[in-house]
Order: sequence, then structure tokens, then C-alpha cells
Amino acid sequence: MAGSLALGLVLGLAALSFTMRAIGPLAPNLPAAITQRTTGLAPALLAALVAIQLTGVNGVLHIDVKVAAVILAAVLSALRLPLIVCVVAGALLAALLRAVFHL
Amino acid sequence: MRAPRSVREILLTSAPIALAVFVFAVSFGVLAITARIPGWAAVLMSALVFAGSAQFAALGVLTAGGGIVTAMLTGGLLNLRYIATGIAVARSLPGGPLRRALLGQLVVDESYAMAAGAGEPGRPDRRTLLVTGASLYTVWVLGTLVGTLLGPVLGDPRRLGLDAAFPALFTALLWPMLSARHAVRCAIGGALVALALAPFTPPGVPLAGAAVVGLWLAR
Repeated sequence: MAGSLALGLVLGLAALSFTMRAIGPLAPNLPAAITQRTTGLAPALLAALVAIQLTGVNGVLHIDVKVAAVILAAVLSALRLPLIVCVVAGALLAALLRAVFHL
Repeated sequence: MRAPRSVREILLTSAPIALAVFVFAVSFGVLAITARIPGWAAVLMSALVFAGSAQFAALGVLTAGGGIVTAMLTGGLLNLRYIATGIAVARSLPGGPLRRALLGQLVVDESYAMAAGAGEPGRPDRRTLLVTGASLYTVWVLGTLVGTLLGPVLGDPRRLGLDAAFPALFTALLWPMLSARHAVRCAIGGALVALALAPFTPPGVPLAGAAVVGLWLAR
């Protein structure tokens, strides 16, 4: 990626994050109705990101080793293992399946 | 009321979290390199954004073929939850508006959780919040730097399963949120809308659709 594009991404994301972290301390009396709405965004976006990661270049769901990684990550999360363990185990499983079955 | 804890004591208590955040930051640096982000930009992002899920989401969008604006907005929307967290810690932050806004930047999920645990109901412990936040910030930036240096020597990211790390990570971030019933509804709705839109639209549209569904179903 070109340096100027990367810089734009970093500065744009930084500005958004700064604003969102500053709103609470500066306006603690924001109506709960508004903040309640925003709690739906994170689960919806994360689930969509999982879904998008599992689609092929044509946008259609594509079953490959990533599905196994997702299932393992879900199981380990349900067992309350730390985040990093779930991620590394998912990647290792994908690498293992690829090496063994030449997927 | 509990006796105030010393800085040393707080650092010792948060050490396991700091270690996990460091490893997480290393993996962010490595994945940023495999997503073709320049190393300096990855380190700068960690220094200025300091939010794992938002930063990984931006990378995830880029690796799925999305553009810069989609990556930025997806990461930004994930950080909307910090408005609620910011309100929760507002009473614990000292000083005038500028100082409070700047100290608010040290709020991440982990530092908030530690401070809420150490404080009284409705008033997270200030010192725990700031000390934990500052130590996690340090390991987050350092870990990213280490990752960007490691990335180029690791070899083919697919052979190492690094492409599968993204969906695994988003699953692991999502899972603890599903204890709330409305979150389950939002997650299912978001995933279905994204899958329905993905074959017909450019990469940004499915995520935008999921965001709308999330706001709509959050009631």
C-alpha cells in the first residue's frame, strides 16, 4: 500500500477513535437511549466481519480451513480461554490442516 | 472503602493482561505486514488509535478487498462503544476539558475492566484506570513494532494460517458479547445481511448494511 494511503487510513481512524473516547468524559449526561443504540454495532459488525472473511472472491460463502479455525475459536472462547489463545489456536489449526491435507 | 493501591501493586496485578496485550500487538504487527501496510504506518496506528478490535477490523477489511474509507469507518464504528465506556469513567477523570479528553484516550476494554473492579460502584478507580491504561499503551506500541520487524521474516502467511487468524479473532471478540440477548440478535442480523449483500456489492456495502442492522436491532 502506498505510504500516503496508509497515512490517510491511520489519521482518519485515529481522529474517529479520539472523538469517540473524548465524548464520554466531556458529555457524561448523554441520553442513555443513544448510547444503548450503539451497543448493537459491535456485535453486528464483528459477525459481519467473520462472515465476509469466510466468503470467496465472488462474495459467496466458501468452505475451507478458515471455517475450522472459526469453530475452534468459538469453542475456546466458550471455555473462557484468553483471546490470544483462541486466535493462535485457530491459525495453527488452519496451518496444520493445510499442511496435512494440502488444501 | 478500600485503601488506595500503589502504582507498583497495580502494575503487578495487571501484568498478565499486559503480557497478553503484548502478544496480541505482535500479531497485529505481523498481520499488518501481510496485509501490505507499511511497518511505520502499523506502529503509528497503534500509537494513535490504541484499540485492538478497531485496528484488526481495518486490516480485515483491507485483506477482504475493501478500500481505505471502508476500513476506516468499520474500525471507527467498532469504537463507538467507547462513548458508553467514556461516560462510565467520566466521574473518575480529573482536570479541565482538554485534560479529561486526553486522559480518556487511556480507556480500553481491559483498563476499564480493571478500574471498575478496583473502584466503587459508579466510580471506577482513577489510579488503576490511568496506570493500567498507560502500561497497556506502552506494550501495545512496542509489541506492534516487534511484530512489524518479525512479519517479513515469517514467510508465506497462508502456510502459517495467518489468514485464518482474522475470522478466528473476530469470533473470539464477538463471543463474550453474546451474553446479552440483543447482541445475539444484532450478530445474527449483521452476519445474514453481510452474506446476502456480499455477492452483489463492493466490499464496503455488506459492512454498512450490518452496521444499520446493528443499530436497528439494538433496542
